[in-house]
Amino acid sequence: MSTILVNTLTGTSTAGSITVTGEGNSTTTNLQKGLAKAYINQDEGTSIIKSFNVASLVDNATGDYIVNLTNNMSDANYIPTSAAVPHDFTASSVSVLHGTRSGSGRDVDTDHFHQRTGKVSSSAVDSTSVRSTVHGDLA
Amino acid sequence: MAGKIVADTLEHSTAGSVDTQFVVNGSAKAWGHMNGSGTPAYGDSLNMASITDNGTGNYTQAFTSALANVSYSASGTNGDGSAQTGGAICNRSAVYATGSYGFTTTFTTGSTPAAYDPSDVSTSINGDLA
Repeated sequence: MSTILVNTLTGTSTAGSITVTGEGNSTTTNLQKGLAKAYINQDEGTSIIKSFNVASLVDNATGDYIVNLTNNMSDANYIPTSAAVPHDFTASSVSVLHGTRSGSGRDVDTDHFHQRTGKVSSSAVDSTSVRSTVHGDLA
Repeated sequence: MAGKIVADTLEHSTAGSVDTQFVVNGSAKAWGHMNGSGTPAYGDSLNMASITDNGTGNYTQAFTSALANVSYSASGTNGDGSAQTGGAICNRSAVYATGSYGFTTTFTTGSTPAAYDPSDVSTSINGDLA
């Protein structure tokens, strides 16, 4: 067993690109691109239970949360995927993720993204818990 | 010149250490953000070779490098600009293959979810590469 003592990993050819051999030993993947760039586990409202690269959480409106990132993403084409816990499990109250929409469209920028939660009937409702993970490229 | 390091553990001076199996196994093996309306197209992606529109709210993402088996994890979120639509990636009718992942997208206007083509689809894949 070997251990590398290091604070920073940097590619030699391209600083932000390190190749990792895959589990099956036949293909490779990109270390930087595969790493999650942010995650958050939040309670209802603006209470952050656990997070990484998250500067703050804003309760923007009912069923509308804004996650502000500490280190920005390179563009708005990154990948926030989320799961929400409903208030209860009655058919009319089950909350679902309404994506990153805010107002008239997708509201994702390099420094933040929205989380929208609502009922199956599509009306907005707060969730007791939302957990999100971000993949994509850091600035 | 590119080099190669073989190691089991990475250790930071203050933040702790991580077994490199978590680096290899824990890294997402594919992800993509796409506009699913009209002709679907990626804004950005990792290990996604193509996206096929199979019909309303039904897509197949083909991987550039295949996964080792069909037991991988897939997650996603979707939505669009309509005030009355919100949606989710739905694994009903999902097709897990080593070379591709097929899924459906739904919206929730009214009491009956239905398939639709969202303008905003984010998916990520975790598992073992072949």
